[in-house]
Amino acid sequence: MASAGTSTGSPDTPRAVANKSDKRTLVRAIRMALGLESVAVRRNTQNFNRNRYRVTAEVADYDALKDEARAIKERSIAGLPDLLNALEKAVRARGGQFYLASTAADACRYMLGVCQAHNAKLVVKGKSITSEEIRLNHTLEGAGIEVAESDLAEFILQVADEQPSHIVAPALHYTTERIAALFKRKFSTDAKLETGEELTKFARERLREKFLHADVGITGANIIAADTGTIMLVESEGNIRMTCLLPPVHIAIAGVEKVIPSRQDIGPFIELLALSATGQRLSSYTSIISPPLDDPPFALSGRPRKRREFHLVLIDNGRMKMRQDPVLQETLYCIRCSACMNSCANFQTVGGHAFGGETYSGGIGGAWEAGTGRLENARFSDLCTGCSRCVTNCPVRIDIPWLNEVLRDRLNRASAGSPLASLLGLASAVRGDDRRASAQKIFFANYHWYASWGARTAGFSNRLARSPFVRRVMQALVGVDSRRELPPFPARTLVRAAQEAPPRPRGGAFPGRAAKVVLFADVYTNYGPAGRGLATLKVLRALGADVVVSDAVPEGRAALSQGMLATARKHARRTATLLMPYLEEGRDVVVVEPSALAMFRRDYRHLLADEARFELLRTRSFEPVEFAARLLARSERTARYIFDVSRSPVGTRLFYHSHCQQKTLGCAAPTEALLREIGFDVATSNVECCGMAGSFGYKKEYYDLSMAVAADLYLQVQAAEQAAAGGARAIIASGTSCSEQLQAGLGRPVMHPIELLAAILKV
Amino acid sequence: MAAPAQTSLIDLFVSRATEAAAKVERIPRSPADVRAAIARATKGARTLVIADGEILPAEVFAAARMLPGVISQPTDDQLAAADAGVTEAFAGVARTGSICIAMGPPLRAAASLLMPLHVALLPAERIVFRPRELFEAKGIGVEALRRNLAFVTGPSATADMGPLVRGVHGPHRLHILVLE
Repeated sequence: MASAGTSTGSPDTPRAVANKSDKRTLVRAIRMALGLESVAVRRNTQNFNRNRYRVTAEVADYDALKDEARAIKERSIAGLPDLLNALEKAVRARGGQFYLASTAADACRYMLGVCQAHNAKLVVKGKSITSEEIRLNHTLEGAGIEVAESDLAEFILQVADEQPSHIVAPALHYTTERIAALFKRKFSTDAKLETGEELTKFARERLREKFLHADVGITGANIIAADTGTIMLVESEGNIRMTCLLPPVHIAIAGVEKVIPSRQDIGPFIELLALSATGQRLSSYTSIISPPLDDPPFALSGRPRKRREFHLVLIDNGRMKMRQDPVLQETLYCIRCSACMNSCANFQTVGGHAFGGETYSGGIGGAWEAGTGRLENARFSDLCTGCSRCVTNCPVRIDIPWLNEVLRDRLNRASAGSPLASLLGLASAVRGDDRRASAQKIFFANYHWYASWGARTAGFSNRLARSPFVRRVMQALVGVDSRRELPPFPARTLVRAAQEAPPRPRGGAFPGRAAKVVLFADVYTNYGPAGRGLATLKVLRALGADVVVSDAVPEGRAALSQGMLATARKHARRTATLLMPYLEEGRDVVVVEPSALAMFRRDYRHLLADEARFELLRTRSFEPVEFAARLLARSERTARYIFDVSRSPVGTRLFYHSHCQQKTLGCAAPTEALLREIGFDVATSNVECCGMAGSFGYKKEYYDLSMAVAADLYLQVQAAEQAAAGGARAIIASGTSCSEQLQAGLGRPVMHPIELLAAILKV
Repeated sequence: MAAPAQTSLIDLFVSRATEAAAKVERIPRSPADVRAAIARATKGARTLVIADGEILPAEVFAAARMLPGVISQPTDDQLAAADAGVTEAFAGVARTGSICIAMGPPLRAAASLLMPLHVALLPAERIVFRPRELFEAKGIGVEALRRNLAFVTGPSATADMGPLVRGVHGPHRLHILVLE
């Protein structure tokens, strides 16, 4: 087959775009996925996502379970060599064989040897993504052994010759219609193949014969207990139980990271895995077995009854090196549940054939591809916007955005750089190591630098930014999509406006010690919708707080999200130094832009060497409405005493979209609660992210994806306005770039909740 | 977290197992009652395989074996073609609506997996609240930690072909008899 390329005009296939070590292939893959796979991916991942939220809410000690699972994984990876020794003893003591394979080829060679020793003609296989990693089928089939994939999703992929698009449901990019078309093309059959029932029946009947006649069964393993050699196998179809039970030889393969100390440690994992994966309370079948099983293997009439044999094959293939890597090490805690990808707005829209490599996909996928292959294979992790929605949904609390930021940093350093990038980097004082990043990345990492120039000449720069010629130049040079309107610079920055409008004396409504606050002039608010900062001043002062405004310095989010860590660290240090004196004089920090706030509460853990400073910032920084609600709670006053809903300039019906980072920080709820308490009728979005995600949606490669993600949000606005008690709603959003995205799609003004609160103050 | 009382555990089990698409009946545990319930549950099945129990009295299984269609010493060919399998359940898990099959005794694994219908006999006092209790070295967990287990939640199912389809490689129907 001719290679599918854009030049020939032939459509791309998933295989043709599996390896995304160059960025052009990533862009082609996004186009392919948006065209072909988005409908099924969106439906299936969002279904898993909804179910997970529903069932985890039933588990009272969900957070404690996550802590426990995390602690077990930390212990296991730290003590892995000892665990492997113990496991080998346990497996052998039960009469099984144990093999530790150093590479993919080594693992394949061993398993082929086992099959050949039994003169195997037919191998039946349960789902194992690790077997995809090592291309096991290729080896076995190359030696003339038939491999029957018994998981229906893997069966589809085998027929279609595609790589998995998801680690739990590897064919979730297929609609029923596409499967029917595929089967009709590949099988000559008179069977009616249209509905899910018919397709399932067709596959079941073919595979039933394979189970009964297979010489060898191969499965993965979700968890392995070192003390007893017990493996946990999770599935819904029953094919894995068949694979373990019927053939005389059972081979289980898994990465070495699956080993935990004891069978008792399985407790939290059996409870977390199904919840986090498909959002089921428990999957249809969860086997907890210490093979070889006692049951005699199956032998249909005429076939000899053989002795049962078991091989546990553990695969290193780069994992022991990941274990030594201070950052990638965390990847090994992954239990491959897929919660990170199901809760990811980009993944929900394109799936793992765009947001994924040859085997692994989604937020955690880049680290797996880099760890078990080459760094360049992780290029697709550029689709991680750092929105952080996966972080609270990961059952072992992996900081997935951080993994991707570090991978991006390493990819930047490994690239050749360009003269334009160097020039931009020099001009904007980017740290030397970071100047190898692309001009696009350097441009976005330095928003504050050109924004400060733009704001000085706001009238002129805003006219310039609207010029089609300038937009085309920006697209060509630094990859800003020309279809995007650039947010206007304010006539007066927040810092200047605050200086010009000194605080009026505080009213007497709030006796007692005044709360002391420094409003951090984040660069997005300061050089953008500065009115949000002024509204924050007004509301907090009306609530009796003593508020001052800091200088505007970049806090590092922009550099961090481009993977320019040296620059991000520099910005973090400078910001912490700026804020320390305020904290020391007893001021809490309030930040308007949630992604900047998230730096203080989450990301500075990685960027500030000084842990005490991070702790101080983490515990004493707040979102404006969150802080206002705290002040209210401390006062004796009700919300309606301070705010009067009838003064609202936009009516009482609102549609509120909270920012992704804000949700992760747990400070979306206070805004919703306060608005309702005041008397607003609030409909909310439940999308994970708007798709803009700071700079992501501005990039020319990702504009289409960004708008496709936003389609869900626009639909939710529409649905809320067309609901039974319908009618227009004012659009309210807390993020700077979310507001841009909402404006772009709806063509309507967007207000920040703090601006609304400022407008309805009674005092 | 305080474990709920056994009666509410049974109620929770019944409601969650039903949500997971299992059919659940609460019946008295006399051999005659169990045999009658199995007869109702397997109506239409021509051939039945009954695996021995470990918890329930032998009379229960002896009575069940009197039912028509029971194959007493099935060959593997007969196992592969039988219509229904009857096994004891080692435990039930209320929160998830799961039963837990302890493998080992002859036919137990096959009779809970290979036939289109699986009928499970679950002694009501063996229902625990959550899965992890079967991984703790106390109570019922002590024995559970020594066994090969299959947690079964509803019938075999897949969504890989688009809509949710019940009955893939494993049983199409799961019928749980809770013995009180």
